[in-house]
Amino acid sequence: MNVSDSEEDSYNERTALVVSESPPLPSYRPEPDPPNDSPTKRPGLSRRSGPPQGVSEELEDEEELTLKYGAKHVIMLFVPVTLCMVVVVTTIKSVSFYSEKTNQQLIYTPFSENTSSVGRRLLNSVLNTIIMISVIVVMTVFLVLLYKYRCYKFIHGWLILSSLMMLFWFSFMYLSEVFKTYNLAVDYPTVGLLIWNFAGVGMICIHWKGPLQLQQLYLILISALMALVFIKYLPEWSAWVILGAISIYDLVAVLSPKGPLRMLVETAQERNEPIFPALIYSSAMMWTVGMASPGDAQETDEEAEHSGGGAEPEERRPRSNTDDELEEDRGVKLGLGDFIFYSVLVGKAAVTGGDWNTTIACFVAILIGLCLTLLLLAIFKKALPALPISITFGLVFYFSTDFLVQPFMDNLAANQFYI
Amino acid sequence: MNLERMPNEEKLGLCRKYYLAGFVFLPFLWLVNVVWFFKEAFVKPVYTEQIQIKTYVKRSGLGLLFWVTVLTTWITIFQHYRAEWGAVGDYLSFTIPLGIP
Repeated sequence: MNVSDSEEDSYNERTALVVSESPPLPSYRPEPDPPNDSPTKRPGLSRRSGPPQGVSEELEDEEELTLKYGAKHVIMLFVPVTLCMVVVVTTIKSVSFYSEKTNQQLIYTPFSENTSSVGRRLLNSVLNTIIMISVIVVMTVFLVLLYKYRCYKFIHGWLILSSLMMLFWFSFMYLSEVFKTYNLAVDYPTVGLLIWNFAGVGMICIHWKGPLQLQQLYLILISALMALVFIKYLPEWSAWVILGAISIYDLVAVLSPKGPLRMLVETAQERNEPIFPALIYSSAMMWTVGMASPGDAQETDEEAEHSGGGAEPEERRPRSNTDDELEEDRGVKLGLGDFIFYSVLVGKAAVTGGDWNTTIACFVAILIGLCLTLLLLAIFKKALPALPISITFGLVFYFSTDFLVQPFMDNLAANQFYI
Repeated sequence: MNLERMPNEEKLGLCRKYYLAGFVFLPFLWLVNVVWFFKEAFVKPVYTEQIQIKTYVKRSGLGLLFWVTVLTTWITIFQHYRAEWGAVGDYLSFTIPLGIP
């Protein structure tokens, strides 16, 4: 997350595999999203090298300013992340489709986990992860190259195609499952109208102009849909290994000098333009281009690589740094891949965990991780990945709760021993 | 999109486009139009383009009402008579409930 008063830095890496796929099998193939959260933080505030004499108050104000942003921004991010997770968990708990085991697998995870020995299964999941991550890396590099060579039309077309698929196909699937769960009879005309409206307004809101809240809502819904698809079609162990590997990849891609995401940021910075108005959730209002005095929003950006659909371009315009007001414009940006993988973690915990303990523990862990990431962002003021800390905490909490705390609580309850 | 920051002509243009786009079977868009521009049209102090925005919002509202009635009627009819329609009912159905009604 990045707080910057200069241009927004948001960088978003997207691995959309929509274009390349034409599924030969009737298996669902959502493009995997490599979530890359890299909170990019443009050092809008220049580093205070030391308070000059007599301006210590200003310094305090500046510091206060930063902190104030921090707390508010944390809250501004908590709400959508929580909402996304709530949607995913509710769906999982009520619509059994998403927690049913299926033999269909994504093409990105070809190795099956129905093997006899533990070692074999572990090996398969590691192989699946390697394939998935390499696909993600390839797509990311491809995207960065496209961006570098200014193939904007291609990128936009790609995004539009993937969001089309998300909005139409996945929501259609989701709706049909919900109707089946509640045993309702619905006719084709009604369903057609519903999906058409949902997706149509979604495309307009996301890719063109629409009310901010609606846009945010659509982004959250799309992330939830994507997370649900992942939860359904990723095999058990592979999912956990992939989560771990993705956070490591995120860390590397954002922080290392040759990382693709970092290159993307730098390129966009050089060109002084919004990095990539897609797949970024923003909680603030953007100025439109016609403004005379563009105030830049301090935006904490967390990039997430979102593959396959969920192209949510944010209308962003580059802003010059002004020290004036326009504080109300400051907002927080979080990449959609972050949403997706957070929700995948919590959703998986809901599916496979014992009961609500695990789910809630993971939820809390992710929020704590998010807080810490924002804190680090406020301190370092540069692009930071949002996945690693949260996912690490989430994984640790999941496994420890599932294997340690759960049996402990069960035993306590069974023996009527209250602590 | 913050309506506060947009010049009036742009607001009018946006309202108009939403209104026109709603004719492609998108009553949801009309709903968004009504909700979003309601304050602009009816609450804010008068400005030049407000009259036109008002017309668009009103017409969107009417269109929305029309669609809601049509949809409600159709859904009621369908739910009520689906079983009796036999083959046609099944043909129209997207999901068919299990069990005995």
